[in-house]
Amino acid sequence: MTLLLCSLITLAVLFYVFYLPGKLQLGPEKTRLAYLRERKEAVYENLRDLNFEYRAGKFPESDYQSMKSSLEEEAAAILAEIARLERAPEAVRGRKGVRI
Amino acid sequence: MAQIGSFALLLALALSAYSFVAGLLALLRADGRAERLGETARRAGIAAFGVVFLAAVVLVIAAFQDDFSIAYIFHHSNRDLPAPYKFATLWSGQEGSLLFWSLLLSAYGLVLRLRHKTDSRLFAHASVIIAAVQVFFLLLLNFAAHPFAIMQGSLPEDGNGLNPLLQYPEMVIHPPMLYLGYVGFTVPFAFALSALVMRYPGEKWIHITRRWTMVTWGFLTCGVFLGAHWAYSVLGWGGYWGWDPVENASLLPWLTGTAFLHSVMMQEKRGMLKVWNMWLIFATFMLSIFGTFLTRSGVVSSVHAFAQSSIGTWFVVFLTIIFLVCGVFYVMNREHLRSEHKLESLVSRESSFLFNNLLFLVACFAVLWGTLFPILSEWVQGHKITVGPPFFNRVMIPVALLLLLLTAVGPLLCWRKTSIESLKRNFLWPSLGALAIALFLMVTPVSWGPPFAMRPWREISSLYSLMAIALSALVAFTVISEFIRGGRVISHHTGQNLVASMIRLAHRNTRRYGGYIVHFGVIVIIIGFAGAAFNQDREKEMGFGDKMMIGPYTLVCRSYTQEDKPNYGSEWAIIDVFKGDRQIDTLYPERRFFKASQQMNTRPTIHSTANEDLYLVYEGQNEDSGRPIIKAHLNPLVMWIWVGVWIMIAGTVIALIPNAAAAVRVPAPVRVQAEPVGAGD
Repeated sequence: MTLLLCSLITLAVLFYVFYLPGKLQLGPEKTRLAYLRERKEAVYENLRDLNFEYRAGKFPESDYQSMKSSLEEEAAAILAEIARLERAPEAVRGRKGVRI
Repeated sequence: MAQIGSFALLLALALSAYSFVAGLLALLRADGRAERLGETARRAGIAAFGVVFLAAVVLVIAAFQDDFSIAYIFHHSNRDLPAPYKFATLWSGQEGSLLFWSLLLSAYGLVLRLRHKTDSRLFAHASVIIAAVQVFFLLLLNFAAHPFAIMQGSLPEDGNGLNPLLQYPEMVIHPPMLYLGYVGFTVPFAFALSALVMRYPGEKWIHITRRWTMVTWGFLTCGVFLGAHWAYSVLGWGGYWGWDPVENASLLPWLTGTAFLHSVMMQEKRGMLKVWNMWLIFATFMLSIFGTFLTRSGVVSSVHAFAQSSIGTWFVVFLTIIFLVCGVFYVMNREHLRSEHKLESLVSRESSFLFNNLLFLVACFAVLWGTLFPILSEWVQGHKITVGPPFFNRVMIPVALLLLLLTAVGPLLCWRKTSIESLKRNFLWPSLGALAIALFLMVTPVSWGPPFAMRPWREISSLYSLMAIALSALVAFTVISEFIRGGRVISHHTGQNLVASMIRLAHRNTRRYGGYIVHFGVIVIIIGFAGAAFNQDREKEMGFGDKMMIGPYTLVCRSYTQEDKPNYGSEWAIIDVFKGDRQIDTLYPERRFFKASQQMNTRPTIHSTANEDLYLVYEGQNEDSGRPIIKAHLNPLVMWIWVGVWIMIAGTVIALIPNAAAAVRVPAPVRVQAEPVGAGD
């Protein structure tokens, strides 16, 4: 009985692990473009937080302007690079895209 | 039954080994077959969960069937053991708890492998790392600590029974919580190491593991405090934390895990501290393994170390391998972890996170040093030098107070740098409030009792308590001011009342405001700890009608009685408790004699209020006079600790809820010609 049960379990496991119907595909490797879009979202979120904290009265106008312009510069640099990569030919994008 | 369990463990080992090897080959190969190989590896990892689960079920069934042919069941159960403790047999001993570790790890692995489409390459790497950890535990289970080992010779009639200290309702949930925490750190570790191995660009792996880490941290927090509550309710010494090596073992990964939860924000927001965060999560995982090693190897003497065995060498080898693997990949890929920004000012949110992390690491090192010192001293000098609570208190109290100060200060500082005007704007009222509370506590009359009437100039413990409460008040005021300020902005935009606006605020940024609620829970706990400076205790032989006074209470012994139950015999005192002339409670401190293990165990009884706990222990009888001895402890503010834990849990749950959509629109930044953005490589 025990032997039969163990055999059945083994067969079920082997069937599950090795029976792979259909085509399989791993996702693409992460590109620099994808990374930059993530960074853009992070900087935008920082900007949203900054605006909100300023409206909540946590810091004065001068501090706000200084931090805002610094974040905007960071965002602009990211946007500029995204735009450059999006304009670049596929071959260049692919070459730069892999394993950054 | 034992054969099925043994078979399941062997099959699980084969599947995990396959998942590791095939997964690794799939990642190394670049041809068209790699996907299929990787998929079989993923499926083998999923199937491993099924067979480990089967092994665990078999062990639990064996416990319920009193199958004493299995040595583990014989050593950790008996026929009259109540059903919940028979279920808890799974994690009551070394072999079972390692099986439980493996089960939880395979469960975490199952969830991870089912969610692989989020980022299939990153998940494939993490899956291989989890399979490697799983192989280690299954090797242990199959070859060093087999839970299905068969008893030699004739079958015993009954088992040895569960350790009496573990026969307490919380023990059914405390170990699973702690293990969910320990094991759960494998997931962020696996993702961090994967990101390093792959030179994964960006911080998405942190986003993916954020909830894993918080859930894991939440479980570990619950586990640590359930352990403290169990010690308080069962061990009968009147305290909840004794700096026992095994208690410390659970605290170590909690400290580094907490540091990681904070510092990881700097990486997400500013692309900073990448190396630091990587090593923090590596250290947290290694400390989790180290904690399991301390609990299970018997290398330290502890009331919690429920095992003496030779598996220590396995853990040392495993820890060494982990360290080497992490070290090698760090050296190879450290350039990938280059920081994107530099620290601009010492007065900034970044620096507060940095100091917070340094303090957590100091605390971690102090606890580690104190825990290992007896072992190190034995190696060096040949005899053990024990490091007791005075050492830990001397180091940890100042560190905790500084951390509390940073908890108050950090959220009010700005990213990058904070001007003097900002500091004044944010700190004036909270500081004045905290100062007013400190003064109030110092000038209140002695008749008010603890925690009022503090006289910090008389003794250091009183000074520490006062500082703890004043800094807790500062944290509370800053948290409240954060909620009110944010709530006002929402209220201004939506026209909702302030409370509704604050709820909406928390929903918009659950991580931040959930975090503040966790901080609030922490200060409630700290206030509870501060009460320990005013603990009192009395001990007296009490016959019928005898009285004992402690604090505002008068205890009158009404009677003693006995009872015989299938699992244990017990005797207890019946003590009437009076406050002034009014009887407020009747308490029943108890001693139990567990038949299977032939061990005596005390069961304290507690009258708990927000102000103080009256904690009674029936210590047995005076050998000369034969009169029963009752020990009473008066422990101020202990209830605050348990309430604080519930608040922390609530905050963690809130932090796990997804954010509601942000209503504030951000204007598009000006486009400029700029240098390429730094990105790991």
